[in-house]
Amino acid sequence: MKPLEKYNPAVIFLYFLLLASLAMFAANPVMIAISVLTMNAAAVAYSREGLARSYVFYAIIFVLTSLANPVFSHNGVTVLLVVNDNPITLEAVLYGVMTGFMILSVLLLFRVFSTLMTSDRLLYIFGRAFPKLGLLLAMTLRFVPLFGRQRRKIENTQRTLGLYKDENAIDTIKGKLSVLSAMTTWGLENGIVTADSMSARGYGIKRSRTSFSMFRFERSDLGLLLIVIASCTFIFFGIATDKLKTDFYPRMQLPPFSPYATVCYILYTGLAIFPLVAKVAETLRWKWISGKAYDDKIKR
Amino acid sequence: MLVIRNRSLRRLLRVLIPFVAVPAAVLVGAYVFKDKVYAYISLIITILAIVLFISGFEKRETGSRRMVIVVVMTVLSVIGRFVPVIKPVATITVISGVYLGGEAGFLVGAMTAVISNFFWGQGPWTPFQMFSWGLIGLFSGLLAGRLKTSKILLYAYGALAGFLFSMIMDVWTVLWMEEGFSWEPYFAAITTALPMTLLYAVSNILFLISLFDPIGKKLERIKRVYGI
Repeated sequence: MKPLEKYNPAVIFLYFLLLASLAMFAANPVMIAISVLTMNAAAVAYSREGLARSYVFYAIIFVLTSLANPVFSHNGVTVLLVVNDNPITLEAVLYGVMTGFMILSVLLLFRVFSTLMTSDRLLYIFGRAFPKLGLLLAMTLRFVPLFGRQRRKIENTQRTLGLYKDENAIDTIKGKLSVLSAMTTWGLENGIVTADSMSARGYGIKRSRTSFSMFRFERSDLGLLLIVIASCTFIFFGIATDKLKTDFYPRMQLPPFSPYATVCYILYTGLAIFPLVAKVAETLRWKWISGKAYDDKIKR
Repeated sequence: MLVIRNRSLRRLLRVLIPFVAVPAAVLVGAYVFKDKVYAYISLIITILAIVLFISGFEKRETGSRRMVIVVVMTVLSVIGRFVPVIKPVATITVISGVYLGGEAGFLVGAMTAVISNFFWGQGPWTPFQMFSWGLIGLFSGLLAGRLKTSKILLYAYGALAGFLFSMIMDVWTVLWMEEGFSWEPYFAAITTALPMTLLYAVSNILFLISLFDPIGKKLERIKRVYGI
């Protein structure tokens, strides 16, 4: 098994898209539990920094969604308490909690997705379908750090010339505005130079042009694609024919455990745990290789 | 991977999306999934609307200079999103729409959402932000003549843009948190977001006062000097 980053970006994109839609469409407690557990683990395995801060944000979203449902929905038979003549029911609370977990798992999934889908991968996917937009995106991504550096240069220059003060709020704003003004002029002029340079190198010539990319479509990509599509079709068929349906109103029912549903749960677990397994396998292999290298060194 | 270099295929896409794909998404949502997932359906429709717009953009010839100017405005607005508390994103989108046309306004708004979310976090909200900011830019391009002559109208549009953005994003909030759209939580969401909405509106007006003329003059100059 190769690490997730090594697969073709289009396959990875489709995989995450289908996984997210399964979590959202199913509305089945078992599947949501599976996806919360696996996505939490995957988020921890894949995140580089700032996970703790994101979890604060996720917790707020979770609490808000869980509370929103019992406040606005008064279906259900088990009344817990009555607020302003509006019954707060156990079923509505449970449903709210489930929705909260669903959204939490989707948010975590998007987090893993955005660490894997770097901008070059997104460009690979969309740049072919929309070449001009792809170019716009690529140029913007390149210009953001360039402009940031230029902003610091202009600010330092103006400071040295004594034009920039930040002693009080008004001075700071004035200073920032004058930096912005210089930035705009520089950016536009610089952009014209870039555009002319592009034209000189043949951009816009009416012949099909190719672009370089690091990604290929290999046999393992085809394998993953087929597995993902087959299992998602199976589960989607189950959802569409109500085989995975779990009613919350008027009274909460247990999620179905028919043979079909059980197969769906197993398939879904397999799908959702894949990023984590790939990451663990990669780490173990790395440990093994570096351990072997260490042994070799000792022997010598 | 789908390659849309073919001119006729792109034209087909422009017909297919509004007349086949969007109704199909609505019908599938209504019958197969029994309206359970409004959020997902509206997400798909939003993406389709953006694709539709982009396929029109891809078809047309755009000079490389004009394109790079759009990129520069997008970068300015992406960097603007790093300003604490008040964000000049909508303002720069409006300026681009007024001086470079509605299409450029849409692109600046939509691309700002995509690019800045690489820094602020991508999520299912990205297409909705693209759509809201894009529309702000598109309409400012359509109203360009009036907005250039009347300052009062311009500031009113800035305030309206703030409210519009908040209201579109709140539709998304409700769709995402609830099963389907209903007015009660929507009004609750709008009321909770009111301070933020007012902040958007006020900061839009402030930024329009301080940025519209200076940046507009620079854009006019660039257009005249380099013949764009």
